[in-house]
Amino acid sequence: MNARPVSIVMIEDDEGHARLIERNIRRAGVNNEITSFRNGTDGLTYLLGADGSGEESAQRSMLILLDLNLPDMTGVDILVKVKANKHTKRSPVIILTTTDDEREIKRCYDLGANVYITKPVNYESFANAIQQLGLFLSVMQVPVTD
Amino acid sequence: MPVFSSVFARRTVTLLFLGVLALLLIVATAAWLTARTGSSTEEVIRERNLRMVGGVILTALLDAETGQRGFLLTGESRYLEPFTASLPSIREGLATLRGLYLQQDRPQERLAQLVAAVDVKLAELVETVDLAKSGRQDEALALVKTDRGRAAMDRIRMTLGGLIAETEGQVTERLAELNRASDLLLWVAGLGAMLIVLFAGGAAWIVVQYTAQLVAARHELQAANASLEERVAERTTSLTRANEEIQRFAYIVSHDLRSPLVNIMGFTSELEVGAESLRRYIGGDEQQAERAKLAALEDIPEAIRFIRASTGRMDALINAILKLSREGRRELNPEPIDLVKLFAATEASVKHQLDEANATLTVPDKAPIIVSDRLALEQIVNNVVDNAVKYLARDRPGRIAITVKPSPGRIAIAISDNGRGIAEQDRERIFELFRRAGTQDRPGEGIGLAHVRALARRLGGEISVRSELGRGSTFQIELPARLRASDSRTPSEVMK
Repeated sequence: MNARPVSIVMIEDDEGHARLIERNIRRAGVNNEITSFRNGTDGLTYLLGADGSGEESAQRSMLILLDLNLPDMTGVDILVKVKANKHTKRSPVIILTTTDDEREIKRCYDLGANVYITKPVNYESFANAIQQLGLFLSVMQVPVTD
Repeated sequence: MPVFSSVFARRTVTLLFLGVLALLLIVATAAWLTARTGSSTEEVIRERNLRMVGGVILTALLDAETGQRGFLLTGESRYLEPFTASLPSIREGLATLRGLYLQQDRPQERLAQLVAAVDVKLAELVETVDLAKSGRQDEALALVKTDRGRAAMDRIRMTLGGLIAETEGQVTERLAELNRASDLLLWVAGLGAMLIVLFAGGAAWIVVQYTAQLVAARHELQAANASLEERVAERTTSLTRANEEIQRFAYIVSHDLRSPLVNIMGFTSELEVGAESLRRYIGGDEQQAERAKLAALEDIPEAIRFIRASTGRMDALINAILKLSREGRRELNPEPIDLVKLFAATEASVKHQLDEANATLTVPDKAPIIVSDRLALEQIVNNVVDNAVKYLARDRPGRIAITVKPSPGRIAIAISDNGRGIAEQDRERIFELFRRAGTQDRPGEGIGLAHVRALARRLGGEISVRSELGRGSTFQIELPARLRASDSRTPSEVMK
């Protein structure tokens, strides 16, 4: 891993999903700190600060796990804001959602998403996918934000 | 239309026919009057001739008498000249008179009298002249003195005077007749002209009216066409919208149902893993003690908690979907609704929350009657007002207002508040099933507005929102003033 510990920011409204994702990432041997948010508003506040400037994320090294279907806004809104902010734009964003709509996937990549993963309903596949993501995370280089 | 035009044709033709009839009447009357004038004129001429001939006879007789007197006085034959000259004139005059009498078929009495008197006078004249010629002057004078000739002459004068007076009367009468005829002609021509003008005017009026009706009918047809196109466009839009709604609905439902399923399956597996470590420990594997302890104290209860929460969530979702679909199938029952009363009921139902939130709700005291489904309309208004009360801004007293604005065929109900408002990207999302906007500090399932929109569309209307984040929102519910059975759509219809 990097010299500076990478923190994982997870915005996922379903507490159960968040728990399962965390467990499976841990099982893959990733022990980085995971900060979870239940809704988009709280997640954005953490990422960009209450004023939306993004100053708070300066000098952070983070990786964002994002669900698209949030109760208060869509993950796409968060993606747009994160990629538009000069402090957070280089932080990798991994979309992890139940949606497998072609257009949605394209749209997210167009907006700057780094990885798009569809949550499988079948738990074996789900656990497998998350564990592979964990392995991937463990070798991934995450830049420090400006 | 064919009946109409045949009536039109019949009327026009009738009027034109009457006009022609009037014209013919004028022509006939004119011809008849002209003929009568002609015969009257002829008669006048004949009467004049008669009078003239009468005059000629009298003059000739006077000439004859003058000659006789001169001759008797002087005895010179040159004085007899007028006498001899006038005798043929008298005979000629009498012949002409007789001819005229025959022509005119007049009573012969006067003529006979005249002829008799002339004969007596001529006989006296000839006799005296003959006596004087033969030198019997005294006898001739004695004959004159018998007054036979004078009496005859008086009779002649009287008869001719009567004839002249008679012809004079006839001429006057004929002239009066001519005058009357020309007057009559004038009247008939005037009346006829008036009738023609009247009939022509009537025909023109009918034509103008018919044309106006045709134009009006054409306009109506155009309007009908336009409104038909509009209706088709409206229907197409609403069908497209409904189709999109269904796709969106299917997508949301599948996604939202899938999420708890992932949990249930995931934690069931976790449960299995925990149970496995317990089983091993209980089976005697002491090395498993730590894992078994963790499983028994944390993993297994957590898994069970998530499974239970997820099944509960799934149940709630399925119930919400069922409720929506039941609403969609409910038979709508259009009835006249007094909006003022409906708003008053809404006000009463949220009074408690309003007082708690230190908010006020103003409702109009005047509103048009709308024909719609009472239950659906109540649910729409109540839901939106509930939301307004629920999402007031905390830093200022709440002000919620309901206003009604009628437009032709539609009624718009606006419910505005000075609450926290809705961000631009959420203004469509709030109407989607299971979606909510803004700070999640209030309980809710994200069903209310989805339900309201479905209801508004079923009532043939639409709901939209205008909002400014942090300032307030206005929900505009636009409904047909009169709900017709064909305006409402059931989901099954939309599916077809």
